[in-house]
Amino acid sequence: MASTLSYRVAAPAASGRQRLQGMARGAEPFLLPIALFALWAVGAAQGWISAQVLPSPQFVWETLSDLATSGDLWLHAQASLQRVLVGFVVGSALGLLLGAAMGLSKTAEDYLLPTFNALVQIPVLGWLPFVLLLVGIGEPLKYILIAKAALVPVTLGTLQGFRQTPATLLEVGNVYGYSRRQQVLEIVVPTAMPTLFTALRLGFTKAWLSLVVVELVASSEGLGYLIVYGRQLFQLDLVMAAVIVVGALGYAIDRLLDWAEARVAARHGARPTPKGLL
Amino acid sequence: MTSTVTTDDLHIHVASKRFDSSQSTDGSLQVLQDMDLQLPPGEFVSIVGASGCGKSTLLRLVLGLDTAYDGAITLGGEAISGPGLDRGIVFQDHRLFPWLTVEQNIGVGLRNASFNAQQKRHLIAEHVALVGLEGFEKSFPHQISGGMAQRVAIARGLVNRPRVLLLDEPFGALDALTRARLQAELQRIWQKERITMLLVTHDVEEAVFLGDRVVVMQPHPGRIRRIVPVNLPHPRNRSDPEFIRVRDDVLADFLAPDRRGPSDVPPTAQPSAAIGFSSERIRFAW
Amino acid sequence: MRRNQAFTRRWRGLAVPFAAIVLWALVARLDLVNSALLVSPAKVLDTGRELLSSGVLWLNLRASLARELTGFVIGTGSGLVLGGLLGLWPRFNRIVGPSFNTFKQISLFAWIPLISVWFGLGDVAKVVFLSLAALVPVVVNTADGMRSTPATLLEVARVYGYTRAKTIWHVVLPSAAPAIFTGVYLALVYSWLATIGAEYLLVSGRGVGNLLIEGSEHFRMDLVLFGMVAIGLVGWLMNASARTLERALARRLGR
Repeated sequence: MASTLSYRVAAPAASGRQRLQGMARGAEPFLLPIALFALWAVGAAQGWISAQVLPSPQFVWETLSDLATSGDLWLHAQASLQRVLVGFVVGSALGLLLGAAMGLSKTAEDYLLPTFNALVQIPVLGWLPFVLLLVGIGEPLKYILIAKAALVPVTLGTLQGFRQTPATLLEVGNVYGYSRRQQVLEIVVPTAMPTLFTALRLGFTKAWLSLVVVELVASSEGLGYLIVYGRQLFQLDLVMAAVIVVGALGYAIDRLLDWAEARVAARHGARPTPKGLL
Repeated sequence: MTSTVTTDDLHIHVASKRFDSSQSTDGSLQVLQDMDLQLPPGEFVSIVGASGCGKSTLLRLVLGLDTAYDGAITLGGEAISGPGLDRGIVFQDHRLFPWLTVEQNIGVGLRNASFNAQQKRHLIAEHVALVGLEGFEKSFPHQISGGMAQRVAIARGLVNRPRVLLLDEPFGALDALTRARLQAELQRIWQKERITMLLVTHDVEEAVFLGDRVVVMQPHPGRIRRIVPVNLPHPRNRSDPEFIRVRDDVLADFLAPDRRGPSDVPPTAQPSAAIGFSSERIRFAW
Repeated sequence: MRRNQAFTRRWRGLAVPFAAIVLWALVARLDLVNSALLVSPAKVLDTGRELLSSGVLWLNLRASLARELTGFVIGTGSGLVLGGLLGLWPRFNRIVGPSFNTFKQISLFAWIPLISVWFGLGDVAKVVFLSLAALVPVVVNTADGMRSTPATLLEVARVYGYTRAKTIWHVVLPSAAPAIFTGVYLALVYSWLATIGAEYLLVSGRGVGNLLIEGSEHFRMDLVLFGMVAIGLVGWLMNASARTLERALARRLGR
C-alpha cells in the first residue's frame, strides 16, 4: 500500500474526569438490561405480577440449571442442532448447484428462475401443511422445511455471485487462452467466493429461524418443542428458559459465522472494480 | 532472447473498422480508417491520440480479441485470427486476480503455455526480477501499490516471451511520480529484452520518451495523421533540447493544428513504414 | 431478430411449470399413485372456484389481511419513531441499541407462546406479534439510513448554518429515504409471513393460514394446494406493488 504518513501525537495521560466518562460510556449498553432485570426481579418478588404470567428470575434460573444438569437441555438442543445442520447442508448443497447452473448458463436461468421465483413467494410455513401431508410428521418434515429455508438465499446469492465476474478479468482469461472450464474454475468461482459465503451465512440464519418455527408447530423434541410444552403446561419458567437458550445459541452461531466471514473476506482482499484496484 | 525462425514483422493494415451504433444515421460508426503500420522486430512504436480516436480499438484488433474488420494484420507472415501467447498485453487497469499472489498472477500468463513446471517457475522468477519486485512474490494485489501492481502486469505480459507486447495506456491510472518512474522502468526493460512494443497513450511526452517512432492519430474516424521519427539515443533525457523539440512538434498537432512554424516537421518517407493520411484537409487531432 | 429472442426467453420460463402440471394431471388421471392425497389439477381448480364463489376464501383472506395491515401500521409507525431516535440521538443509541440488537437476534416466533399467555389466543395476540414483526426491519433500516448520512453533506449543512431541525428535515431524511423505504417494504413482507405463522400457532378465528391447517387436518390436499397458491399470489402482489412504489419514489427523488 502506498503509505500515508500519519502523525500520532502522544496521548496525554487521561485525567480522572475523562476516565470516569470513559467508564460511563462503557457501562451504557448495560443500563437498559439491568434496569429491566431489576424491574423483573422486584416485580416478581413483590407479587405485582402473578407467577403464571411472569415467573421470578430465580425460578427461571433454577429451571435452566435443572435442565442443564439433568441432561434434558442437551437432549433437546442436540435434536435441534442436528435438524438445522442436516437441513442446512442439504438445502445449501442444492442451492449451490442450482445457483451455479443458473449463473453459468443463461438457458438454465431462463427455464428455472421464473419457477423458482414463484415458489419462493410461498413462505416456509406455507409449505408445511403440504409437506406434512406428503411425509407425515417425522424428521423428514423438518429436514425438508429447513432445507427449503436455506435453499432460497443460497440459490439467489450463488446466482448473483456467478453472474458478477468482472468482464475485465474474463478478458484476461481470454487473452491467455483459458478454456471454458478453466474460466469457470479459475476466474468465475474465485471471484464469487465472498458472495457465496455471505449467501451461505444468510442461508444458515434462515435455517435457524425456520427451525424454531417448525419445532413450535410440529415436533416432539427440540428447543422449540420445549417452548410449546412449557406453554401448554403453563410452566412459563420452562418457556423462558428455552427462549433464553434459543437466543444464546443463535447469538453464538451468528458470531461464529461473523468471524468466519471476516476471515474469508480478509484473505480475498479488496474486490476488483471496473477501473482496477488502488 | 527469443530465437526467431521467421521474421517477426508486425504488419497492420486496417482498411476500415466499424461498430454498430444506434446514434449514427446509417447504423454504424466508423472507428478506424486506412490504418497502415509496419513494425520491424524489436522496435518501440508509440501511438498517441486523444480519447476516442480508436487507438485502444486498434490494439484489440492486433491482440485478436476482435476480428471483425476490413483488412489484415499479420505477425511474422501469419494472419492474426484470435488471441495468442505470441502477443502480450498490459491493460490500463492492471487486472490482476485479487485472490492470487504476485507470482501466481504472473503464472496466469503461463497457464496454457507449453513449458513444464520447473521451466515455468524459472520464467516467473526471472520476470519478477526483471520488473524489480524481488521479495514481493507472495504478496497479494491489495497489499502492493498501484505502480507495483502495474509492474506485475508487465511481468505477466512478458512472461511468455511474446513476439509483440501491446500496452494500452499502461500508466494512465497512476500518479505522475509513479508514472515517470515506470516509464523509465519500461524503457530499461525494453532495452534489455528488445521485444517489439506497441504503446498506446494520450500523453505526448510519454510517447516521445519511449518510442522510436510516434504515430499521431486523429479521430472521427480514427486514422494516422502522421508519423514522427524519434532519432534520439536511449536512455532518453527529458531535458535534452532535441527531445523537447520533437515533443513540442508532436504536441503542436493537438494544441494548434493550423500553426506552421519552423519547428514543424513535414512527414518524411520511412523505408519500412507506410504513412497513411489522406490528402484531404488535415483535421485537428482532437 | 432480437425481439424474437426476448420473446422465446419469456416462454421458456413457462416450460417447467407447464410440464409439471401436465405430468401431474396425467398421474392423477391414470391413477398411477395409490393415495387419497392425489388430487388432480382440475379438482384443485374446482375447490378454488368453490371457495371463491362461496365467499369463504375472501372471508378468510380479509381477516388475514386486516390483521396484517393493522400490525403493519402499528409496527411501522412505532418502528419509525424508535428507528429515528436510534438514528439521530447517539446517547439513546448507546443505551437502547445493544439491547435491541440482542432482542432482534432471537427468532420472533419463539415469543409467541409467551405472547399467547399475556394476550390470549385471539386477534390481539396476533396483532401484537405482527407489529413486532413489522417493527424490527423498520427500526433497523431507519436507524441505519439516518446514521449513514454522508458526513460530507452534513458538513455542507453546517457551513450554511442549518439548525438541527433543518438539517434533519433537509439532509438526513432525504438521504435516508431509500433505506427507510426498504425497511417499510420489508415490514410489509415480514408481517405477511408472520401472519401465516401466527395463524398456525394462535389457532383461533379466521385466516388463510387456518384454511391451510384445516386442509391438512382433513387430508384435503386440494384445499392445501389452493391455499398455497393464494398465499403465494398475495405475497407476490405485495412484492410487486412495493417495488413499483419504490421505483416511483426513487425517480421522484432523482436517483
